[in-house]
This record gives sequence, C-alpha cells and structure tokens, in this order.
Amino acid sequence: MSDRNTFLAFGMAGVLAAGTLAASATMAAEDNFPDGNITFLVAAGAGGGTDNFARTIQPLLEERLDTTVNVINLPTASGAIAHQRTASGKADGRTLDFASSTLVTSLAAGQNPTGLDQLTPVARMQSDVMALVVNPDKYEDLEAFMEHAREQPGDTVIGGTAAASPDKMAFLAFQDATGLDLSFVPYDQEGSTAANVLSGNIDGMFNEISSITGYTESGKMKPILFFAEQPLEGFSEVPTTVGQGWDLTNGNERGVFVSAKTSPELVNRLESALHEIYQSDQYQQYAERVHLDYRDGWMGSDAYQQKLQQDLKQYRTLLKQQ
Amino acid sequence: MLESLLNGLAVVLQPMNLVILLSAVFIGFVGGALPGLSGVILVVILLPVTYGMDSTSAFMLLTAIYASTVFSGLITSILYRAPGTPEAVMTSFDGYPMTQKGEAGKALGIGILSSAIGGTVGTVALIVFTPLLASVALQFSSPEFFALAVLGLTVVASLGSDLLLGLIGAMIGLFIATIGIDPVTATSRFTFGSLNLASGINLIPIIVGMFAISEVLKRAGENSSHKAMKEFRIRIFDGAVLKKIRTTLARSSLLGVGVGILPGIGASTAAMISYSEAVRWSRHPECFGKGEANGIAAPEAANNAAAMGALVPLFALGIPGSGTTAIILGAFVMHGLQPGPTFMSANGELIYAVFVGLLIVNLMILAFAKPFIAVLSRLLNVPYAALGPIIIICCVVGTYSVQNSMFDVWLMLGFGVAGYLLEKINFPLVAIILGVVLGPIAESEFRRSLAMSQGDPMLFFTRPISATLLAAAIGIVTLTLLAPLWKRHRRRVAAA
Repeated sequence: MSDRNTFLAFGMAGVLAAGTLAASATMAAEDNFPDGNITFLVAAGAGGGTDNFARTIQPLLEERLDTTVNVINLPTASGAIAHQRTASGKADGRTLDFASSTLVTSLAAGQNPTGLDQLTPVARMQSDVMALVVNPDKYEDLEAFMEHAREQPGDTVIGGTAAASPDKMAFLAFQDATGLDLSFVPYDQEGSTAANVLSGNIDGMFNEISSITGYTESGKMKPILFFAEQPLEGFSEVPTTVGQGWDLTNGNERGVFVSAKTSPELVNRLESALHEIYQSDQYQQYAERVHLDYRDGWMGSDAYQQKLQQDLKQYRTLLKQQ
Repeated sequence: MLESLLNGLAVVLQPMNLVILLSAVFIGFVGGALPGLSGVILVVILLPVTYGMDSTSAFMLLTAIYASTVFSGLITSILYRAPGTPEAVMTSFDGYPMTQKGEAGKALGIGILSSAIGGTVGTVALIVFTPLLASVALQFSSPEFFALAVLGLTVVASLGSDLLLGLIGAMIGLFIATIGIDPVTATSRFTFGSLNLASGINLIPIIVGMFAISEVLKRAGENSSHKAMKEFRIRIFDGAVLKKIRTTLARSSLLGVGVGILPGIGASTAAMISYSEAVRWSRHPECFGKGEANGIAAPEAANNAAAMGALVPLFALGIPGSGTTAIILGAFVMHGLQPGPTFMSANGELIYAVFVGLLIVNLMILAFAKPFIAVLSRLLNVPYAALGPIIIICCVVGTYSVQNSMFDVWLMLGFGVAGYLLEKINFPLVAIILGVVLGPIAESEFRRSLAMSQGDPMLFFTRPISATLLAAAIGIVTLTLLAPLWKRHRRRVAAA
C-alpha cells in the first residue's frame, strides 16, 4: 500500500471518528444536561419579588440538576437587557431569564425589543392577584367608589407603580370595562403609592394582593375588587371582576424563559425540573409566606406561551385606546 | 417603652448577637470605604446569609451594616475625594480640601463625630417618635416633594461661586436627569434607542467618575505624584472645633431626620439639602468648598440621621424611605414577617432589639473608626503612582456591581474625563450633582401633582406645607439676587 493510500485511509477513519464523536457530543449535551453551570438572569433589581423568586429557586434547582447556579440581576430598562441577553445567548438551556409580567407590558409599550418569538417560556410559577385598594375612610366598598367616579368624571385619582406596568394595564382594563373616567398617577416605588393611599391624597391604587396584606389586616387599607374568577379565601365579601361581569383576571405573573433557539427536549427537561420544584414543600412554604398562594401559579410551557400572546394583544389594544 | 428597650438590650448583649453586630460594623466599614460599593449592594449580598439566622439577629445584622456603610463612605471621600457611598459626596467638598491643607486628621475627626451624633439623634428619634414621625411623613405628597426639591435647587444662587456657572451646572444636571423613560408617560427621552439609557443615568457612575476618577487624573498630571501623604492623627473630640460646628450639628441632625423619614428620599438627598442649608445659614458662605469644618459636619450629621429616619416609615407603615430600606423590607417578607401598620405592635421584641442594636452600632462607630482608619491610612504611605490605579480598579468594580452593567463603567470613565476638564475651569461640580439628584424629584412630582389636581396649579399654593416651602424658595432667591444691589446702594449713600 502506498503512503498516499495509508494517509487517505487514516484520513477517512479520522473524519468518521470525528463525526461519531460530534454526534455523541450532541447526545451527551441532552443526557448530561446541564453539563456546566447555570445562570439566572433576573429581569429586576435585587431584593424585589422577582429576585426573591429566582433566589428561592436557585438552591432547589442546584440540588435537582446537581450543578451550580449563578444569579445576576439586570434591572436596567425594566429588565429588557436580561431578555435581550437570554434571547441572543447560547441555546444550551443554561441561561434562564426570570421575569414578571413587565416583560409583556413593556413589550406592548414598545420599550422591550425582545419579542415573544425570541424567547420560549419554560413555565409560569406565580400568578399574583390584582386588587383595587382604597382607604376605608374614603370609600366603604366598590359601589361607593364607582358612584363617586361616576358623579365626578376625571376627579378620581388612582395610583400604581411605573408607567408601563401590570398596575397600569389593570387600570386601563378596568376603565375600559366600566366606562368610568379616572386619572392614573404612576409612582416610582410601590411604597410611595401606598403612602399616598394611606394619607388619602389619592383615591385608590392597583396593586398585587401579595404585597398589601399588612395594610389590609390592620384595616388601614381595604381591597374593594379582585381581578379573579371567584372570591379569595378570607375575603369572601370582596367582589371579583368576573362576578361583576367583567372578563378581567390578569394580575402579575412570574415565570422562567429561555432563548427561542433552545431545543424542545431541553425546554421539557427544564419544565419538569421546575414543576418538581413547584410541587415541593420548600417552594410551597415560600409561596405561602409571601402570600402567593391565592391561586395556582403553575402553567406549563405551551399554555403559558399562548397566554402571553393573548396578553400582549390585549395590552396593545388597551394602550392604543387610551 | 423603657422595659421593651431593656429587653432589647438583653437580646443584643447575647454574645452571638454582639459578634454579629461587631462583624456587621466591620463589613460596613470596608464596604462603605470602597468607592462604588454601597450599602445597598452589601445588604443584597448578605441577604441569603440571613435566611439561616433567626429574624432578630438577621435584622440586627442588616440594619447595622446599613448604618455603618453610611458612616464609612466619608473616609475615602475625605482622603482621596473618592466618595465611598453616594451619601458621602457632599463630604468631599470640604473634607478633601482640608486633607490637601494637611489637616486630614482634623477632617476625619469632624466626620466621625458628626456621623455618630447624627446617627444617635436619628436612632433616638426612631425609638421615641416613630408613630408620630410616620404620620408627619404621610403629610408629604407630590406637591410637597416638588416644593422641597425647588427649595433645594435655589441653593445654587447662594453657593458663593460664579452664579452663571452655577446655573449652567444645575441645568446640565437637570438635563442628565431627563434622560431615560419618562416616569409618567413611559415615552423614551434622549435614549437614542439604547436600552442602556432606558432607565436613565444612575447616580453612582456620575459621582464616582466626576469626583474619584477626575481627581486621579488630576494627580496623575502633577509632578509631586510620587510624594506620599503626611502622617496624621485623628482628633475626634476637639473643643474649639466642636464650638464652631455645634449649631450646624444640631440643625443638620434634625434636618436629616426630617428629610430621611420622607418615603423615596434617601440619605444622599438629605446630605445635599443639609449642606445647602449650612452654606445658606453661614456668616461666611465663601469659606465653603475650601475646607470649612461646617461643610463636613453638615452632610455627615444629616446623612447618618437620615439613614435612621428612613427606617421610621418602614417600621411604622411598611413603606421604605430609601433604596436600602426597600431591600430590608423585602428581607422582612422573606423572613415571614408582615410589614405594615401593625408591624411594630406585632414584632415589638425584634424591633426594640434592632433599636438597641443601632444605638450600640453608633457607639461602635465612634470607638472603632479611629483604629480602622489608622490601618487604612497605611495606604497613604503607598505612593500615589500605585494608589491611583487601585482607586480606579475599585471604582470600576464598584460601578459595575451596581447593575452588572459595563455601560455604566464606560459612563463613569466618561464622567471622569468631563469632571477633570470642568475642574480646570473651576466649574462648580456640586451644581451638576444638585440638578441630577433633585431634578427627577422636581419633575416627576410636579407632573404627578398636576395629575392629582386635573391640571390646576393652584394646588401648590393651597396646600400649607408646599406653599410655605415655595414661599421660602422665592424669598431666598429674591434676597440673594437683591443683596448685592442693596450693598451697592448703601455704599453709594455712604460715599455721598
């Protein structure tokens, strides 16, 4: 055999071997997932609800996938940088974006360039109930509030946190459903909104139920309407939107996203890991502690995907009408 | 209350808790002394650690770190003009010139004493008047915040240096403050489509750049840069100095508490307003910015008092008074506590332990600041050629860590060059910072006020607090502008 043939033969063998190796490497990527550290990009600042959510998941996922999870907060531009970095990053399922409904509201307002087609939702894990909250010295119940709003159009001032937020969407949807003429004042921080309701400087606010239980229990604030299908536990006397005949149930949701290029197998893998976590005692205890147990938070990848699309469409319409 | 305090003292005196307090003070010292690394970040880093502790120890740790970082930001601010925390920016205006005159020890002594007094006044106010102060804080709504910000901005007129440059500086600051997504209508302003600019320009890159980096650049151009700084001795209790600054200490501590309790206004703003007032009330406003003792006492007493004041609405109402307290609020929730109007009555034992802990922290600051700075000041013997780059590294790391943003680092370096150039023409940098800090408050609260009143501007004058504050602002501007004319008139009369 000539040298050249030998060379060719070895060459062929080499190519074949490399091919098999490459193939087995892709197989291994899914078998040995995650095969490296995982990064959580939190689309919010440290210490808030979304951050606490991610940091609760962190040790639970580390335990289940036998890996190390790093948490990075990217609060800039309402988290738009976190979405962008997730979407454009490697599709190896090792970069997870932890986001709230602000992802969709900022998308609807045109402030988030990363569309829903660039991110795949892995799961929704929290569904916080939106509430209309008033100072009980001002309004006794929803009826009194509505009556005042009807009699003096434009004079009723409602606060909320941030200008393109779930609070604002709740306000727009409520105004749309009731036909009332109300004013909205966006505050930078939830605390400022609450202070203005407590002092009676504004008439009420839209806020998630989880963060107002301290006020409602002390009687300084009163929820007069919940965006929910049925009355909430412990608040049987407070009417719900659906009970009033308004089809509004959106609150603030929190979920996990990966780049849209990620293979369905990896998404499934992550989804089932998160589902296990969701059902674990540790997670449920946390949900109870932070009052996120008024309704089931879990929603799988496909269902959440559809819901996000619907929400986006609704929010865009609401913003156009305002 | 006395009984609750004694119970609190018993909890704090448990050896484990004392160790926690001591380490918290030390962590806070180090964190606060590093430029860019502020209390917010330290509290966030240590949050997960506290999940394993019992709630009382956890909150003693977090609040103690918070208190001691607000203090220790002054060290590098005075020694290198590299404010360790945003709260310590104003301290550099008179602290650093004093260091340059070779009086670093005196400057640090004033800073330590003022901090401890401010912090103690703040803590006592927190313990005694929390429910009362919280109801005062609630009287402040958008019109009052707007009026307060306007009053703060008028100080540009009395800053002593060139009025025209001061106005230009304030305008630059106000302009920087408009960058980002409009807080009321959510429209992008001056962001040029960049996501990095969408949430506006953070205060940290501006401060660190304009003060720390520009100073390193300036020193790098000097021939004497290889010369090490002189040894110094810190004197905390100095009768002559104390006599000079006692009025300022009293006024600034109370002012700090007053500003600190307002939700959303932090200790940095309190330091700024207090400095402005010190200039305004001084018989020698021209001495400020050149190493005036009152110029250190005012911001330091106020920021430490305000840091404690910011805990008032948190404990009494569940409303955070500042950025760091907002994170402490989140920590309460994660510990299963329920912040809100009933928080104090439901968790009395925890709260009084935290109160006593804070009092002790102020004593610890007084006791340990000197040895800590003594160790730190060995760095002063390091030639500036080596120290300068270390300062820059700290600035880069610290600025990056705020939002994990490389863009902020470039911004900081850019502001460093801008600050260096502006200083060459003696531009008053304080006016820019004034605009950046007060601009967003003035603008968004003005628009919120009008939204509250359906566009009727009379609301600013019918609400007593905002009317008083605005009247004071107008009066002050008129007086400062008319004073030179009046003097000229007197001179003419005298000559005739």
